[in-house]
Amino acid sequence: MKLILSIALICFAFANAQADDSKYEKAMKKTLAEIDSARDYTSMLNVANGFERIAFAEKDKWLPYYYASFMYVLAGYTDTTTSKKDGYLDKADLFINIADSLKQDDSEIYTLKGMIAQARMQVDPMNRWMKYGTESTSNFNKAMRLDTLNPRPEYLMGVGLFYTPEQFGGGPKTAKPLLEKSLEKFNRFVPENDLMPNWGREIVERLLIQINETTTEKK
Amino acid sequence: MKLILLLIIFSCLSITIISQTKITGKVIDSNNQPLPGANIFIKDSYDGISSVKDGSFSFITEEEGSAILVVSFVGYKTSEENLFLAGDDINIEIVLEEEAKELGSVVISAGSFEASDERKGVILRPLDVVTTGSDADIYSALETLPGTQQIGETEGLFVRGGSAAETVTIIDEMIVQKPFYTSVPDIPSRGRFSPFLFKGIIFSTGGYSAKYGQALSSALVLNTQDLANQTLTAINLMILGLGGAHVQRWDNSSFAVEGTYFNLAPYINVIDQRPEWDTAPVGVEGSMNYRLKTSKTGMLKAYGSFSYGDFALYTENLDDLSKKDFTRVKSENYYSNLSYREILGDDWTLFAGASFSLDKDKFELNKDKINQDEILNQGRIAVTKQVFKTSFLTFGGEVQNAIYKNNINGMLVDLNELFLAGFFEADIFFTNDFAARVGVRGERSKVLNKYNLAPRVSLAYRLGTYDQINFAYGRFYQTPFKDFILQTTNFDFENSSHYILNYQYISDERTFRIEAYYKDYNKLAKGTVFTYPYINLPPVPFSNDGSGYAKGIDIFWRDRETFDLTDYWLSYSYLDTKRDFVNYPTLASPTFATPHTFSAVVKHWVPEITTSFGITYTFATGRPYYNPNNLEFLGDKARNYNNLSFNASYLTTIFNNFTVIFFSIDNIVGFKNIFGYNYSTDGTVRRPVEPTADRAIFFGMFISVGQASPF
Repeated sequence: MKLILSIALICFAFANAQADDSKYEKAMKKTLAEIDSARDYTSMLNVANGFERIAFAEKDKWLPYYYASFMYVLAGYTDTTTSKKDGYLDKADLFINIADSLKQDDSEIYTLKGMIAQARMQVDPMNRWMKYGTESTSNFNKAMRLDTLNPRPEYLMGVGLFYTPEQFGGGPKTAKPLLEKSLEKFNRFVPENDLMPNWGREIVERLLIQINETTTEKK
Repeated sequence: MKLILLLIIFSCLSITIISQTKITGKVIDSNNQPLPGANIFIKDSYDGISSVKDGSFSFITEEEGSAILVVSFVGYKTSEENLFLAGDDINIEIVLEEEAKELGSVVISAGSFEASDERKGVILRPLDVVTTGSDADIYSALETLPGTQQIGETEGLFVRGGSAAETVTIIDEMIVQKPFYTSVPDIPSRGRFSPFLFKGIIFSTGGYSAKYGQALSSALVLNTQDLANQTLTAINLMILGLGGAHVQRWDNSSFAVEGTYFNLAPYINVIDQRPEWDTAPVGVEGSMNYRLKTSKTGMLKAYGSFSYGDFALYTENLDDLSKKDFTRVKSENYYSNLSYREILGDDWTLFAGASFSLDKDKFELNKDKINQDEILNQGRIAVTKQVFKTSFLTFGGEVQNAIYKNNINGMLVDLNELFLAGFFEADIFFTNDFAARVGVRGERSKVLNKYNLAPRVSLAYRLGTYDQINFAYGRFYQTPFKDFILQTTNFDFENSSHYILNYQYISDERTFRIEAYYKDYNKLAKGTVFTYPYINLPPVPFSNDGSGYAKGIDIFWRDRETFDLTDYWLSYSYLDTKRDFVNYPTLASPTFATPHTFSAVVKHWVPEITTSFGITYTFATGRPYYNPNNLEFLGDKARNYNNLSFNASYLTTIFNNFTVIFFSIDNIVGFKNIFGYNYSTDGTVRRPVEPTADRAIFFGMFISVGQASPF
């Protein structure tokens, strides 16, 4: 399952940063640009720290909290020390809840909540799937309802299914329709501005190629 | 600080305003270890940086004048330092303190084993209870932990030299009167509550909290699940019967209903049985469960269950081998529990609960008819308040009204007990590494017309990141068993004192625990209420003159790290105990205690076939049994006990429904186990007490309808 995430991390394509005189936008763009190069958990925590600093300076903006939370989820997936994972996810929870209180009923926030639940489950799947499996599904469903154009809930659900054994109703075949739907949405997706979440497309494409290759091989 | 002073003086002298200040330094923890990844920044500005590998940091700020330097890190308290920024380099060392109540702080744990999904650093997970042993029974899983005895002929937890009656089962803070199905001598019964009901289990083998009482040895504290995760229908097909369940989940509430019918007749026809069954055990049981989230922090739980069971069998009459004794047992159990928990304000937690139990047993012993009814009404209130940042006070009270009615061939004996208890407990964290729990509990029994006051103390001191030492002392009281007080109420509370010293090491994947204890029993009830199995002993008058002791060492090792996809644990218990109680003529090692007990549990997960395999091996030295021909009371010992059981759970989907197929065999090798012997009155005929069958087999299929994927 670690594989999913390591791939997930790689694919944050952000629109090229434009010069802007706003201090907030400048700091956000600078920190957003650091996400791509953050490959190990220390550098991810550093990026999270960067967003945390902006969040604390601004206080009423939800995006820095959202990205701080996001980076902690990624760090939780990347750090191989099991005992530390829940600590990162506690932080991720803390920040996403602040984001949620600043901007209610946002599809991206609920998508991230679902992703946090997925990450919690990964820490100890045998013991946690009952609780966090349901929690992630219900958050993704809510995210889909809140914004039918958001490609990320389908993307994350698809990735989850892709790596679930076929015996449990997962596997590439089951994941394919969700990933295809996500790609369709990605093709039409235009972020409101440069700071808004716009990640995940590359991995959807990559997984779909992988699925198509394996199905052709079998034929 | 000197530096800052200097800076202030300097800045006063200097009129020049310099626009950039370089701040360098190092972030360390209280053990002088560097903390990389900490966030260092000037409050309300964008300026800051993360510490690097050696904990050092360096950044430049354009802020000027008074400023606050904030340093934060996962699991540590955030630190704030006042700075004056005037363009001169600042070098500062920051020491971060670990956050209390996080993974790092010490947990009071002498005497107890905890299973939880939510807490870190626990010894078991609730799933372990389901996947250990051969029959998905809470009690048989706990018997693989040190401190318990392997008693094959009776149900119940026999802890550290105590009888099964000395262990109390508590569900959502309230005592369960009869946690087991009714049984007859030498044929054990199962626990009545499914392990799936509970999210957390604390099994205390001694020195438990002042919140609970009425158990001389041990408390098993079970906390039920909160809101059900999802709407789900389940079908359970078992070798012994079939059942179904439906769970409905709404936004803030959930309702579950479940029922099972079991009939052992087909099984008994296939697997050779020692008892001569007249009616194989049949029964139905059902339960309902309602959960309502009353607010962000409030939870209302209602639970109700009933069960009905019937069985009858013939046993050899050892005094006249041409005759057989007939026994029939019909039982009905009703249990309901209502509880409410809420956090009020910033630091008050309120718990209120009530429960009702009705247990009706009808025995037919040849021509004798005995009906036993027990009713228990219970109410409980507890309040926890956080005082300062580091201590919690809990106080509360409970009231129990127990009504016993025994009807022996039309002759009625009854008793109405009113029991009151109050408790006070303080959890104090002196430092992150040193904590104490100090409590006192007072009880009053109406029928005994007696009071008691029981002090409890538990200390925990952390030595390193993963290890700690614990100490516990406590006084425990228990009203003599109902069969005594139905005869005469001229009794006092029985009591015991526990002294426990423990060392434990708990990392993520490995646990080691060694615990030494001494237990002193006093005022144990004496008197002849049952003669079985001590026939021929002179009748003993009723008194509180019994006493005894138990001492020993319990060792536990669990390891999930060394072998891939494999989890195993080993338990060893050494026990030295003697007691003089009931109709014992002298101080003796009781029939339910043996010096050495060992068990090993191995679980291995094979992802390719999504199957989990488990093996449990148990060894115990032979226990004493009563031989009327031996002048030394309980001077004979049965043979050593061995058991190897195997189980497998295969996880799959059937027609897109998530399914678990469970299979187990108990005593796979077929060890001939003999728990003791029964004798005829004249001592000339004896029969071994053995398990009902050499091997027990269980097969079940648990289907979650409409749920395709567990992951």
